[in-house]
Amino acid sequence: MGRIPAYVARPPVGAYRSLNPATKLVVALSTALVAFGVRGWSGPLAMLAVVLVTVAITGLWRSIRRYLLLSTPILVSVLAINTFFFPNATDVLVRLGPFAATGTGLIAGVQGALRILAFALSVAVLSLTTPTDDLLSDLERRGLGRRAVFVIGTAIQTVPRMIARAAEIVESQRARGMDTEGSWARRIRGVLPLAGPMVLGALGDVEERTMALEARAFTASGRRTVIRELPDSRAQRAARWTIGLGSIALVALALADVVNLP
Amino acid sequence: MGGMFSTRVIVLMPVAIAINIVLGYTVQSVLKLPIYLDSIGTILVGVLAGPIPGALTGILSNVIWQYAPGIGGGTIGPFAVTAGVIGLMAGLWGYLGVYRSRPASGIGLWAAVVVGVGIIAVLAWRIYTSPIYGNDPSAGGYGAGVYGLIIAIGIVAALGVGGFILVRRDAAGAWVAIAGALTGIVAAIVSAPIAAYLFEGVTGSGVDLIVAALRQGGQDVYNASLGQGLFSDPIDKTITSFVVFIILTSLSSRVVARFPLGERLVESRA
Repeated sequence: MGRIPAYVARPPVGAYRSLNPATKLVVALSTALVAFGVRGWSGPLAMLAVVLVTVAITGLWRSIRRYLLLSTPILVSVLAINTFFFPNATDVLVRLGPFAATGTGLIAGVQGALRILAFALSVAVLSLTTPTDDLLSDLERRGLGRRAVFVIGTAIQTVPRMIARAAEIVESQRARGMDTEGSWARRIRGVLPLAGPMVLGALGDVEERTMALEARAFTASGRRTVIRELPDSRAQRAARWTIGLGSIALVALALADVVNLP
Repeated sequence: MGGMFSTRVIVLMPVAIAINIVLGYTVQSVLKLPIYLDSIGTILVGVLAGPIPGALTGILSNVIWQYAPGIGGGTIGPFAVTAGVIGLMAGLWGYLGVYRSRPASGIGLWAAVVVGVGIIAVLAWRIYTSPIYGNDPSAGGYGAGVYGLIIAIGIVAALGVGGFILVRRDAAGAWVAIAGALTGIVAAIVSAPIAAYLFEGVTGSGVDLIVAALRQGGQDVYNASLGQGLFSDPIDKTITSFVVFIILTSLSSRVVARFPLGERLVESRA
């Protein structure tokens, strides 16, 4: 849609963005792992701090706001359900009608919300600082395999096109009387007029694409030569191993109760 | 290069992944139903290409949806495990030829209706009497409401399955319903620990009300997640199963037969 192709654009600038995609991937995965694996306050708060520092370095405040908005429903839900419905909690803080807010529940809710926030933001940072093509290209160079790269890359490209198509189908079915706001029975009947054309349309050109790929030696053996090399350094490699193994070790120790963090 | 990852399957997988993501997103935001409908692509690939491609489609769908800029889901990533299991089961159904059309009439047709309705009734009853919904409905004010809903949904489901078999004169409806319900139950069991441990059983959508109701009834986090799952997943996967069946019967035999497991779908077609 008018975007300049990635290979024409300038390489990413910025201390964090210019890191190798694999490094950024390891950081994102490790952050998520520690945020969920180390229970209590320290895990989520520490990872949230890491993510916020990254956001500060890369200047992504405005873009992050949208991800924050997307996460709001589940954050509210976690807080509300844990505060009011925490099983076997007796330290009631306040009563609202039949519902009692408990201190234990509130703490669990806040911790849960921090965990989800750290996770969601770390994914957001990865997604905003790493163009998909770069990530896939780097992974292919490390041995991911042409077919996997094709599947992931094509899937990511197809999603926006299919969303636009779905909107068209919804509009045209509404014009034919599909009810999207009526009773549940009506809405369930709306599933097939929506799913059917979309799926059948998408499956329509599978045959042609298969022929096209085979004609272009997609199934030839041997690795492709990836021309676009993304910079990597020994320091980054060391950092990846340290962060990766370190976070696994930290979570293992925390789960085994060897290390007790608040 | 043939086998389960033939070029055709490799071309189908991203389409299936996109279908999962887009349908899941559209159904939740446009139709606003408490079902997910994000496994149609996974089951399609599983039935046509086998368990491993199906499992990979499911896993990649969740991972890509989590990471996708714009519609990135808040919590969908870790449920890749569930999606993988769904894909594996779909491969099993593919091997068993569950989604093959079985035109029937007379006694054969009614036998299928009885089997289909019977199994749905048994499953609904098993879920209804499961201890996670609380042994004592009077302990929490909302427990009884959940019971009532399950019975109502069970009746509607049984009628729907029976009607489908009769209207289309296709005994396969019974198998499709059973496959869907079983997939849903397994999906709920696999999802519950993930939801409970990572997200306190909460998903940020309308089904959280069920979680709240169960917790109000005194259930702990894990059982509340399991209770919510056993409520939503069988319904969702059964509907998905029927949608996949209708799609597969709409495709031409020529297209279907070229997939690794395609022959099991077209055997009885002339």
